[in-house]
Amino acid sequence: MNKYLKAFLHRGLIFGGFGPIILGIIYAVLQKTVEDFSLNGTQTLIAIISIYLLAFVQAGASVFNQIESFSVPKSLLCHLSLLYVAYVTCYLINNWIPFNPSVILIFTAIFLIIYFVVWLTVVITIKIVSRKLNAKLQ
Amino acid sequence: MKCEIIIDSNCEEKIVVYAKQESPLTEEIKRLAEQNSPTLLVYKESQIIKLNTRDIHCISVIKNRIYAICDKEQFLLKERLYTLEEKLPESFVKINQSCLANIKKMERFDTSISGTLKIQFKNGHTDYVSRRQLKLIKERIGI
Repeated sequence: MNKYLKAFLHRGLIFGGFGPIILGIIYAVLQKTVEDFSLNGTQTLIAIISIYLLAFVQAGASVFNQIESFSVPKSLLCHLSLLYVAYVTCYLINNWIPFNPSVILIFTAIFLIIYFVVWLTVVITIKIVSRKLNAKLQ
Repeated sequence: MKCEIIIDSNCEEKIVVYAKQESPLTEEIKRLAEQNSPTLLVYKESQIIKLNTRDIHCISVIKNRIYAICDKEQFLLKERLYTLEEKLPESFVKINQSCLANIKKMERFDTSISGTLKIQFKNGHTDYVSRRQLKLIKERIGI
């Protein structure tokens, strides 16, 4: 098996389970705070499976950064696209957003802003760490 | 220069020299200490070679086989990475799931815009640093 696919599956299997746990916590909070919050069995099952797959993809997608044959923009684009498709699909099938182009457009904008902020935070943090490590190596 | 040798079977073996400046004596001590580095049995074609660990830049898994990567050559190892991890001196640190790197052979750390940290070794070889190992690497390097 391709080592990157293996790494993708490995990371997905390790972290996939965190999705339903977080979902469970959010639902528990919603049940306490929202008056007529209720879900039927099918809705719960779809939510659990979809959020598991979302966490699986989210964890596994970091493997794109390690594919040597991919240029940095290509790996970033693959990472972003895969996450976007996973998030949009998950939100739509759970009816967390309606199937409406303008809503999806707003969702896309919010998704891109959050992705950019997270990416910037990670890059700045790693740059600081790298500078410190290089200073020690000299 | 005063010299003190403490014999203790439980301690980690290391030589610490306090000197006002580098001198032929400190150089000689360094050379002798390095000569004493552990060796590994490695394979090159049909030959079996005793390789000093101080000559290794990193030990990496390449296509499911383990190689010791040196200045210009790489040698096959027939041991598991986790057993090697226990055998190697403290200058070796795990940087990701499939690479043990020699801190003394690290040239520099590079960051990419994808947010990954990479190590470039003195022989030009590069490998990525897993975020899970970053804490240990920082400790070993002394941050």
